[in-house]
Amino acid sequence: MNSRMILGAAMAAALLAAGAPALAQDPIKIGIPIGLSGANSVVAPSVVQSAELAVEEINAKGGILGRKVVLEIADDASGAAGAQKAFDSLAFQKKVDVIITMETSAARNAGLPIVARGRVPYIYTSFYEGRSCSPYLFVNAWVPDQQVAPIVDHFMKEKGAKTFYLVGSDYAFGRGMLEFTRKYIQEKGGTVVGEEYQPMDATDWTATISKIRSANPNAIITSTAGGAPNVTLTKQLRGAGIQSLYGNLAVDEGTAKSMGADGAGIYISASYLTNIDTPKNKEFLAAMQRKFGSDLKTPNDLSVPQYEGIYLYQAAVEKAGGTDSRKVLAALPEVSFEGPRGRIQMSKQHHTPLTMYLGQVKQDGTVGIVASFPNLDPGQQCPNLK
Amino acid sequence: MPSLVLDITTTAAILYVVALGLLLIFGVMKIINFAHGAFLTVGGYSAVVTTGLGLDPWLSLPLAAAAGVLLGMVVERLIVRPLYDRPLDAILATWGLGIILGQVITLVFGREVQFAGSPVQGTTEILGAPYSQYRLLLVGLALALGFAVAGVLQGTRLGLATRAVIANEDLARGLGINSGMVRFATFSLGSGLACLAGALITPLSSVDPNMGVPWLVNAFMLVILAGASLLSLMAATVLLGGAQVLVSTYGNPVLGGLTIAVLAAVILRIRPQGFARD
Repeated sequence: MNSRMILGAAMAAALLAAGAPALAQDPIKIGIPIGLSGANSVVAPSVVQSAELAVEEINAKGGILGRKVVLEIADDASGAAGAQKAFDSLAFQKKVDVIITMETSAARNAGLPIVARGRVPYIYTSFYEGRSCSPYLFVNAWVPDQQVAPIVDHFMKEKGAKTFYLVGSDYAFGRGMLEFTRKYIQEKGGTVVGEEYQPMDATDWTATISKIRSANPNAIITSTAGGAPNVTLTKQLRGAGIQSLYGNLAVDEGTAKSMGADGAGIYISASYLTNIDTPKNKEFLAAMQRKFGSDLKTPNDLSVPQYEGIYLYQAAVEKAGGTDSRKVLAALPEVSFEGPRGRIQMSKQHHTPLTMYLGQVKQDGTVGIVASFPNLDPGQQCPNLK
Repeated sequence: MPSLVLDITTTAAILYVVALGLLLIFGVMKIINFAHGAFLTVGGYSAVVTTGLGLDPWLSLPLAAAAGVLLGMVVERLIVRPLYDRPLDAILATWGLGIILGQVITLVFGREVQFAGSPVQGTTEILGAPYSQYRLLLVGLALALGFAVAGVLQGTRLGLATRAVIANEDLARGLGINSGMVRFATFSLGSGLACLAGALITPLSSVDPNMGVPWLVNAFMLVILAGASLLSLMAATVLLGGAQVLVSTYGNPVLGGLTIAVLAAVILRIRPQGFARD
């Protein structure tokens, strides 16, 4: 071997040596397409905060398999058109390793073909109407089979309600939730005296309210897009003096707080409430308070699953030994995480059993727990996915 | 039934308040101010800022109006006046202004939906059923604003000059009326009214950087129908607002949103002057 070849070999060896640690330092990118504008914009900040805390905690302990975790956030404008752009940019430009986010059903449905094309695992952390199935999609939040029964049973058994009026936003979530609710009410012997839908971004509920007034139901159950529509509908309902029982399937604690006095009396059914009395929840709340101080947005049923979703991904990557999509997707149903909501494992057809709480909003905007229902099964969500 | 009448009346009042500023500008300057939606949004955010500072929500009304007048004065001087001879370009310029204002608002306030406090809460018993006090208040305010503007137009020298310019600008200038001053005053007043309207509609729903856009289309249609007359505007808002409420209540709220635009197109086809009397 002459000196040139030795030099060349030495350079190659040096490059390889320099290259190897560089590869191990490649950060793991978590994509978060979320409604920074539009209907979800009221809730999105709290979801982003949960994600930031999870990532900070994981990185402080050395990251995932020694790699730093990094968030890539994009605005999906709470709808399908925005979601297409956000998912495209995350999957194909930023080349994220996973998408973990809370979105409207319209946005999620628009994003699913893109994650399938890009082969990116998608952990959906928002409650929704159920039956959204894809080998790439995992859900760690509730579905109607877990959420509707506590409210309707309470209204019918404890409050004697027989007639119901259903109001929703006109898209997959609003229609899906209320279809389940209508069937459940009818099964239990109640009557649905009216069902009304408005576009997701609608702000004028005048026509709906005058119909409610003439139907005079015992109870109103609503399922609008998360965030702004809840507030406008409630404001206008209260503004019109409607006093029926009010069960809201789609409001989180944070939004309820921003309704002020108008929110008092609303019944909600959730897998997370801030006054869940477990050590994990108290630890979580203390950590959020330390990190965000006075900028803290109330953790809620749309933001806590985000925190848990990121930890579930960590567990899956560690079990799979890397971020290869196929291995991670195989590992996700098998890993679990003990979080503020208890034990989460997405083993039931890509969905998870959950403990549900029936709560009522008080005058000061906090939610008091009326009853709890441990370990409710999500039912048959995706029978074709084992 | 009585609540339906109230719904129609209050919806007409809201549409009237929103369209009034646009009508003045259209009548005098013969241009549609496409930044009208952005002015509504500025008014909405003035209300958010006012209640955010902890001030009495009633204060948000004069503050919004003042913000609108100031903004209108600047816009007229810098954007509209240089395009005086080119009305089509002026319309395009106001559209661009609307986009810019929307983006500036996004930069300052963020994209998320926000809420403002209401000056009046609760319901009163009227015609046997509880009805939102704030909506009823808006009827009174709409009438008061209409009378105030009519009063200025009929009872002041500026009003006289304005009516002359509305009727025939060249002739008015020939008689020595400073039409530049009239345009300046009208645009500022119209902008002030637009911002006031934005602050008035906010307690009913919410505020976000694009809140004005849906109102723009409806206001545009109503103004085209009404021409330059305050009375015609009242007739247009009652008729078309009423139709919107009826379609939303008995049909489908999605179709209700289309009603004003569709009806306006039909009426203009039948009678191109709309509700104007000439």
